[in-house]
Amino acid sequence: MLTQQMLQQKKLLLCWAAIQLSLLLLLQQAFAGWVIAIFALLLLYRLLSIFQAKAAVSLKLVNLLAGIIAITFFLQLRQAGVLHFMLQILLLAAIARLLALQHLYEARQLVWVHYFLIACCFILHQDMLIALLIFLVFAANLYSHYRLFSPSVSRLNWRQSGRSLLIILPLWLAMFLLFPRLPPFWQIPNANIASTGLSDTLDPGSIEQLVQDDSLAFRVEFDGALPPRQQLYWRARLYEDFDGRRWQVNALRQNASRQRAPDNAADSSLSYRVIAEASQQTGLFALATPVTSSSNVFISPGGLLSSSKPVSQRLSYQVSGSLIPVMLISEQEQQLNLRTAAGNPQTQQFAYQLKQQYPQSHALVQALAEHFRQQPFYYSLTPPPLGSNSIDAFLFDSRTGFCSHYASASAVILRHAGIAARVVGGYQGGNWHPQQGYLAVRQREAHAWVEYLDNGVWQPFDPTAAVAPERILNSLDSALPEDQRALLDPGWRQLALLQNVRQQLMHLDYYWSVWVLGFNENSQQQLWHNLYRHLPAIAYAVAVLFSIIIVLLLYYRLTRSSTGNTPEATKQLYRYLGKALAAKPPSLSVSAFLLQYVSHSPGQNVCLKQLTALYEQALYKEDAVALKQLKQYLQCHKAELGRLRRAIKNT
Amino acid sequence: MLKQRLYQRYWQLLSHYLDKRQPAADKVRLVQKLIFILPTRYGWWFVLLIALLYLLGTNYQNNLILLLCYLLLSVFLVSIVLVYQNMSGLTLQCRHAAEGFAGTKTTVAVNLSSDKKHFMLNMHFVQPYNTNPYNTKQNETVLLSQPATTASLNLVGTKRGKYALPRIKITSQYPFGLWRAWSYVALAQYYWVYPSPDADKSAVNLSSDAASQQAKTDAGETLAPYRAGDSVRHMVWKRLARDPANPVVRQQHFSAQAEPSWVVVPALSGDALERALRYACQQLLQLEQSGSSYGLKLPALTLPQAKGPQHLQRCLQELALC
Repeated sequence: MLTQQMLQQKKLLLCWAAIQLSLLLLLQQAFAGWVIAIFALLLLYRLLSIFQAKAAVSLKLVNLLAGIIAITFFLQLRQAGVLHFMLQILLLAAIARLLALQHLYEARQLVWVHYFLIACCFILHQDMLIALLIFLVFAANLYSHYRLFSPSVSRLNWRQSGRSLLIILPLWLAMFLLFPRLPPFWQIPNANIASTGLSDTLDPGSIEQLVQDDSLAFRVEFDGALPPRQQLYWRARLYEDFDGRRWQVNALRQNASRQRAPDNAADSSLSYRVIAEASQQTGLFALATPVTSSSNVFISPGGLLSSSKPVSQRLSYQVSGSLIPVMLISEQEQQLNLRTAAGNPQTQQFAYQLKQQYPQSHALVQALAEHFRQQPFYYSLTPPPLGSNSIDAFLFDSRTGFCSHYASASAVILRHAGIAARVVGGYQGGNWHPQQGYLAVRQREAHAWVEYLDNGVWQPFDPTAAVAPERILNSLDSALPEDQRALLDPGWRQLALLQNVRQQLMHLDYYWSVWVLGFNENSQQQLWHNLYRHLPAIAYAVAVLFSIIIVLLLYYRLTRSSTGNTPEATKQLYRYLGKALAAKPPSLSVSAFLLQYVSHSPGQNVCLKQLTALYEQALYKEDAVALKQLKQYLQCHKAELGRLRRAIKNT
Repeated sequence: MLKQRLYQRYWQLLSHYLDKRQPAADKVRLVQKLIFILPTRYGWWFVLLIALLYLLGTNYQNNLILLLCYLLLSVFLVSIVLVYQNMSGLTLQCRHAAEGFAGTKTTVAVNLSSDKKHFMLNMHFVQPYNTNPYNTKQNETVLLSQPATTASLNLVGTKRGKYALPRIKITSQYPFGLWRAWSYVALAQYYWVYPSPDADKSAVNLSSDAASQQAKTDAGETLAPYRAGDSVRHMVWKRLARDPANPVVRQQHFSAQAEPSWVVVPALSGDALERALRYACQQLLQLEQSGSSYGLKLPALTLPQAKGPQHLQRCLQELALC
């Protein structure tokens, strides 16, 4: 009976519908368009039926419907991936439950599934604001959970919930900080989301698209000082295969990414921590030559960092290394980077000329940079399309291109000139926030440059620095003409206030990712270590705190036990007549003692009788009204009570 | 059957333990030593949820899932305290002995007092010894969703008599339904089960016939003209057939049976006694309703004539104890 009433509460049903709607929005990344449409339709129907106060749909119909939808989900399993399939099925179960909700136990199951789905949202979202939103949804679900087990009409007891929160919060934080952290137990399916950032192929034009993306790629915190801007070349990809048009990562590199490079005792003067955003790729970022890294990432022989599985959520890792260029690993690597593709005859010709003029590779590179600097080359986000011999068309015809064009052309020239060279993809520079002490590198800082072999060392060479030095020294915005800058900045972003708010939020998000998302075994060990070091101090503090609490408790107990047994009425009477009542023999009751004096002092006759009557009413009948009257009486007749006290004393 | 026997055995052991821990008292305040707390079935599901989230969070190395997991765990732990607080401090008292007829529900009013608010309390009497096989779980649960001052609990008495009030089981899962706090409270109070009123007077007839036969031999009987209110049983039917205008009844002066305001239970035993008692109960109720004063004669005891609810109660109690 009661449960039926409860389930028909509009508020509760609306609460669940709202939770499911927000779950749908939060998990929409994981769902295909038609899946979202199905869920939205079902939810819409439920909302309508709530507002029109219709009865729940029959269980059979809902089961049939859910079964059909589940089968279609299953048929799409390969496309969606296991994780997304699981999320789809769970959300489907929750929505179908809500459609045919009839019993209290079904509502409990619903709440349980909601909890699980809310937790799954964190697989896809770790931003601070969205995390806050998810916690809000959690709170709504907790409230509906409470509603299921509380009387249907009562309201939330704010005082009690506040007190519970005061206990829960420290408990929660202590658990989070101190509970042992374990490595992953088994390999888990990853979210099947399009990857962001640099890809394994470098088309002319792929980086132009990337730089229009203003989202964050990663953030770096340096243990020492920030290196000069010209040296902030974050290496992410090595493109070594050239087919005449596009560059590709060599298959060797892709397979070798799991190998750990030998820890050759190079100096590691530079130490920094990178917090990479989710990119769904394994490739990570490092400066020049990384030497050691935290255990969650690998350093491959090419000096690149990678994680063992695609980065599906923010990842924090520590790197120490140096700014010395990367060493040549093997003869094979050199051979790999000498291969040339057919075509581009003009470029070949140009390369041979250069080679004859400058036999030294270092000098040749200098000459090439000089060529870019002195000839009318332009740096542009919107280069014209190039023909089949794209390098020729770029070098001798359009002379307008973006960093990938320059890097690609330079590497081809160097290879034709007999110097091993390759294109490196990554990020250049970043936005330094001095107060917060971190460097924010966004996708728009994506960049491509060249590494050429010189005396067994891969020397970096950035042709863009020759064409548009502002790009390297300052930022992309300053390197581009006015009209192209508009491509990077939609109008609203230029509003100063919004920009400011955005900045502040980004900083907050940074602390969030360092302290909450980045909290790992190391931080925990550090914490334990610190706790251990300050153990005596902490022990003293805790001991003092405990003793204070115990003393307070004892005091409280003592004061309560002395008065706790005496009823309120007696206490009141003793407060006003205490001295007079001290003469009372223990065998006599209070009222009997007082009534003795009726005959002795006729002046207080009325007063005494009234007092004892009220007192007895309050004490023996446990009458709250009489107790109140007694209090009032005692307060209003102080003078008379004084006379009474004297009278009792005198007899 | 085995289950029932096992349950009875379990209840025996438990009540032995409970009798030591909380002997029956007039007024029982629920304090720490009387309250037991264990997770409910939903609580175990919740534990499973927490474990799953821990696995998920660890496998994805996702701190936010772990945070949520620990938040749920702390809610789980704190709800032990909350469920305890919702029970503790409640004082139960049963001021008046309850009364009822055998085979029907006896309503016991239990007074509740507390300086706190208590929600969603479930209360019922625990009577595993109830002989009726159909209602082993008969004592229906009363749900007090709001703070209340009295709870009316039902008891089913099958045999007449005076019984000590069985233990009251009072449970609550109040804030989140994750833990169940419960207590078995024994109140020092009795309840009466009176014989159920029954108009079947076969037992009494038999005995009164035997008595009248005895009376005939002992003292004889006189005949008197019928007056309104005379029992039809004493009608002399043969005379009535002969002379329908003047009905005559038999009168036995020495026998209390003859006096209409006396309820007599003859000295019988076994089932016959039960039937006589049921009939007597019916008579008593009728007499009280008609407003006349009446008395009760039992083999061992005679209650003088009087009327009023208190007298009725006294009479019924004697019947129950007979």
